[in-house]
Amino acid sequence: MPSPARPRSGGLLPLAAQLLLAVALWPWSGTGAAEPAGGPGFELHAGDRVVLLGDAIIEREGERGAIETALVATHPGAHLTFRNLGWSGDTVWAESRGVFDAPSAGYARLLDLVRGLEFTVVIVAYGRNESFAGVAGLGAFRAQLGRLCRDLREPPGEAGDGAPPTRLVLVTPPPFEATPPLSAVAATARNAALSDYAAAIRAVAIDEGAGLVDLFGGVTNSLPAGERLTENGVHLSAAGYDAAAAVFAAATGQPLSGDFAARTATLRAAVNTKNRLFFHRWRPANETYLFLFRRHEQGNNAVEILQFDPLVEAAEATVQKLAQESP
Amino acid sequence: MPLASPLRALLPAFLVVATFPSVASAQRALTDIPVPDPAAELEAMEVAEGYEVNLFAADPVIRKPLQINFDPRGRLWVSSSSVYPQLRPGEIPDDTVTILDDTDGDGVADRSQVFATGLHMPTAVVPGDGGCYVANATEMLHLTDTDGDGRADLRRTVLSGFGTEDTHHLIHTFRWGVDSRLSFNQSIYIHSHVETPSGVQRLNGGGMWRFRPSTLDLEVFARGWVNPWGHAIDPWGRSLVTDGAGGEGINLAFPGAAYVTAVGTPRILHGMNPGSPKLCGLEILSGAHLPADAHGVLVTHDFRANRVCRYRLTESGSGFASEKLPDLIRSPRVDFRPIDVKMGPDGAIYIADWYNPIIQHGEVDFRDDRRDRTHGRIWRVTAKGRALVPRFDGTTLSNGELIDLLTADGWARDAARRVLVERGIDEVGPDLDAWASAARRAAPSSPGYHPGLERRCLELLWLRQGLDDGSNAAIDGALLLRVLTSPDPRARAAACRVVVDWADRLGKPGAGPAGSPGPIDILAPTVDDDLAAVRLEGVRALAAVGTRVGASPADSKRAAELALRVVDQPRDDALDYAVWLAARELQGAWLPAVLAGSFADGGKIARVLFAIRAAETTAASGWMVEQWQQGAVTGAELDALLLAVALLGTAEELRLVYDVALAATTPAARSAALLDHLADSQRKRKVAPARDLAGLTRLLTSPDEALERAAIDAAGVWQVEAAAETLERIAADADRPLPRREAACRALGNLPGKAAHDALATLAAGPTTPEPLVAASLAALVGRSVDEAAGLTAAWLARGPGDTAVHEVLRAFLSARGGADRLAIPLADVALPAPTLRAVLQDVTAAGRPEPALAAVLERASATGGLPSITPQQRAGILALVAAGADAGRGRELYRRESLRCVACHRIDREGGRVGPNLTAIGSAAQPDYLLEALLDPAKSVKEGYGSLVVITADGQVTSGIPVSRSDTELVLRTALDREVRLQLADIEEEAPGSSLMPAGLVDDLSAEDLADLVRYLSSLGR
Repeated sequence: MPSPARPRSGGLLPLAAQLLLAVALWPWSGTGAAEPAGGPGFELHAGDRVVLLGDAIIEREGERGAIETALVATHPGAHLTFRNLGWSGDTVWAESRGVFDAPSAGYARLLDLVRGLEFTVVIVAYGRNESFAGVAGLGAFRAQLGRLCRDLREPPGEAGDGAPPTRLVLVTPPPFEATPPLSAVAATARNAALSDYAAAIRAVAIDEGAGLVDLFGGVTNSLPAGERLTENGVHLSAAGYDAAAAVFAAATGQPLSGDFAARTATLRAAVNTKNRLFFHRWRPANETYLFLFRRHEQGNNAVEILQFDPLVEAAEATVQKLAQESP
Repeated sequence: MPLASPLRALLPAFLVVATFPSVASAQRALTDIPVPDPAAELEAMEVAEGYEVNLFAADPVIRKPLQINFDPRGRLWVSSSSVYPQLRPGEIPDDTVTILDDTDGDGVADRSQVFATGLHMPTAVVPGDGGCYVANATEMLHLTDTDGDGRADLRRTVLSGFGTEDTHHLIHTFRWGVDSRLSFNQSIYIHSHVETPSGVQRLNGGGMWRFRPSTLDLEVFARGWVNPWGHAIDPWGRSLVTDGAGGEGINLAFPGAAYVTAVGTPRILHGMNPGSPKLCGLEILSGAHLPADAHGVLVTHDFRANRVCRYRLTESGSGFASEKLPDLIRSPRVDFRPIDVKMGPDGAIYIADWYNPIIQHGEVDFRDDRRDRTHGRIWRVTAKGRALVPRFDGTTLSNGELIDLLTADGWARDAARRVLVERGIDEVGPDLDAWASAARRAAPSSPGYHPGLERRCLELLWLRQGLDDGSNAAIDGALLLRVLTSPDPRARAAACRVVVDWADRLGKPGAGPAGSPGPIDILAPTVDDDLAAVRLEGVRALAAVGTRVGASPADSKRAAELALRVVDQPRDDALDYAVWLAARELQGAWLPAVLAGSFADGGKIARVLFAIRAAETTAASGWMVEQWQQGAVTGAELDALLLAVALLGTAEELRLVYDVALAATTPAARSAALLDHLADSQRKRKVAPARDLAGLTRLLTSPDEALERAAIDAAGVWQVEAAAETLERIAADADRPLPRREAACRALGNLPGKAAHDALATLAAGPTTPEPLVAASLAALVGRSVDEAAGLTAAWLARGPGDTAVHEVLRAFLSARGGADRLAIPLADVALPAPTLRAVLQDVTAAGRPEPALAAVLERASATGGLPSITPQQRAGILALVAAGADAGRGRELYRRESLRCVACHRIDREGGRVGPNLTAIGSAAQPDYLLEALLDPAKSVKEGYGSLVVITADGQVTSGIPVSRSDTELVLRTALDREVRLQLADIEEEAPGSSLMPAGLVDDLSAEDLADLVRYLSSLGR
């Protein structure tokens, strides 16, 4: 897996951000965050680099751009950058990330990748895929989510070097939505399991001092009447993503208002363009030939993947410009 | 990919080799790029007698077609990609789906509509559900035109999470199944993780998925293959598969089965045409337009050799036999690349020609200018002088008309089914009920009955599956029973799969007449059916029903009892596989019952023994011993039982078998078999018979050869110290046959103690010791005293021993962790004769991994010893000789020459080893320059599926080989000696990819003329 090159900005945060961090080391200690119905929330600070990590809810967010647009637009001038590392079917064990190796190798690569992005915040959205293991799998899930939090927070070799601690935000999965021909019984059973896993995520958030966005408890409340939350019981619909975006924004104390979606359509398009380019950067097709065991055939073309970096940066600049202008 | 430490240390040197810029290639030297003129392409085609070809559509209307499928209106949907093989930085993917129509029926498309743009490598398209399903890299999309302007305006992600590790392996080959599931394939390098409402479905490697869009139920139907771009379904619902990078021809796929390259299974099934060219696309010919002798013929493409191939199947055993027929189309042009084929609405054959002088994307640079990105053709093949089938628009027909068409041929049947299914149960149900009740009442004895009714009933059953809305009323239990008891075994076999789909509703209120039987009762007769094909489907269905969520323990047990009845009758490989798989899947049902004494085996313990062996479970060994000790088992069944205990028992139980093996009354052959199985227990599970095994010594000198050999092996495996003296005596006994003495050396290598060591050292250094014995002694010493072995070996190599002996000793060093490094030290100080040096070099390359220290020593030795190397000018000269008509007959003789070792590793037709690629059709795939390069420098061009794996196990053994299979517990590698080595995953410490197993320098002794003849011969294969 190609590790994206480090950004030219080095890791030096703007001064304002450092000051903010000094007073808000732990997300819950912040005074600005309201306590939305969904949970205790989290804060975003100027200059934050946010990694979105999780399963298909995050992966598809990369195409929808709803959550990212909401957070960027509600923090104008904060210069927030997002990198989406969602992967369909993934779990806290990185089960979708092994590629030709075991999931454990994918987990290690994931940590390397995240560190290479020099993030300050990681938003972690897991639990739905794991919940199919039911009560029997709950203990292992909770333990592994805790381990993932600690691994993300403590880059080896960098502890104690004065770098600001990483802030983590855990996200509970949205509820299952009854969808014919899947029977109501299935929905009830699914939501019972999801409820258990959401509870485990909330508990880990407390244990690990992480922020929380409680989609399981809160996303339905943000959904306009008559709209379906999902496309198929599981994956959020367009309205579902907008509702999730509202929960995220509210969790930072900056609730969305009025005709938000219409006002930010241009910004959202720019966010999606940037995310598409970054997707081809970090998960390029033909990995086997470019980077892995058949690189003797096409490894010379791996340079093309690096050529996505300036394209991502240019797209990022457009996002930032539009964010400044965000009404 | 991350590697554990010792191999990581080796890797840099390997990379230098692997990234060498001038990659050899079958297509690299292609300079003669044809003019992309369809008329010239058509002119060049040689078409089979009785057929003719016309151009249906071409660029610019379509370009680079990847898949074609007709809709029920008779229009052809084409997915095209110019982004393939790789998106450029900044390029916005803009691939398309185009709809072609021949409105005036003259055989040429006269209307085209770009339905969708903005796609990313749409490797497949199939119309359905008011639009089309399209493969779009990581996702499957459904596209709809909601405003009727002919262009898709609604884009929905139906499934996502498909891998993209290789862009010609992306999900592909969409086809509606007879049950109206959407079937699609992925290929070997793809890893997919798809979220569905009922959980994540994962498929790592190749295989066939099936998907019901209405419920989002997604499952893996079969696993394996390299790049299976062909899938056809015969009129009885049997899935046939071709592999665009695998050489086994036509494969018959059934639920749960695994084929070549499948990950996660210790056993696979094979295609019906081993050594066949690699085939892409697949369709079954039918319909009144084509002559009767074409009906049922399979059409597929050998796109490497620019030809359209035909195969004929005949029913055989539980499946088919497949025979290759003369080609339908051949072309001398390298740009004719047929990849898909479908029967059209007019009864003609439609062929998608990807049109490209350069295929694939491994060998030639992604950005090579010779890659064509703009052209593409659809060819139409008709039978000369025969009337076309009248075309119709299926969407305008009534339900009754469509139901009538379900027993029609090809496109008409598929179109009718599709329209009916999309109309839905509410609209179609009443008509279907009327037809079905009439059909199911028509018994073979009733007046007006005709055999065609059997297929009609089956089609109506399949239609029910397609119309299924999940309600009890949607299924028709009476019709199902009618088909399961059909006089036509093909119908009975097909109906088994329907039972699985309806299992939760069969026998429930509203799902049929009161008191209708449940799924297991319905399936019960199938396992005793006269026809093997029915037994096969029956046993697969029972496994699925018995393991489904919600099956009661009693049902599962009954399913297992029935499934294992299949063991009573003869089984071909596929049927044996089916019941083997069922035994493994149903283990949770039969094993507790067997142990509790409640398993009904009909008095046939063979059924249970089969299941125990299939499941490789150790939990039943106590039960087996009990049966034995109660005297309930005799004869052949007892033999089978003892072998099973030997493989799976505890140390105490193994001891009981051991005592039988040693008993004077036991026949020698039986003793030998038992000892071999007991020794396997030690090798695989590290379990040996309990207590002192000194008694084995007595058998070391058995007059029976097989028993003596088994005893010697077992003494080594178990490290029987008491055997040392006898083994030393055997090893030193000049009167004994050499193989026995070598076996004794190997056994001694395992024994502790100085005496064994000294015996080996003496033999190794003995001036009169026969060469094979020196080799065996040195090899045995490597494992216990590597530096001493290295010193003795260096001195011995300097004397120029024969190749066979050199190979044995070198392999011992190369398979011991660090062994090559230790050998390099004394080897630096001796001069090796050129033939010996060459033999050593061959072994080092055949190890498939870098050995930098040893390689450095050998490189110095080669430089001073002056091994020959071939200059580019010489290569050009050899290729000129090939082109000028070298002698393929002489080449064939050279190929068979023992010293070249071609036959040892490569197979042509049914002869030869299986280590390297099958060469039966190599000439159709590879150009002479590629063949020459592969002969001279094998490591530079390793074929897909022949990349080796280097594995280090806990005992320090290093094994290189081609992966054959991998299960949850075991990895099977095929070594350069064409030997399958089974490695327990628990023992594996490290794994890394290796390179070619083909030794370099095999052809160094050949003259330029010889090489030209050999290349010429290889080029002729498969042409």
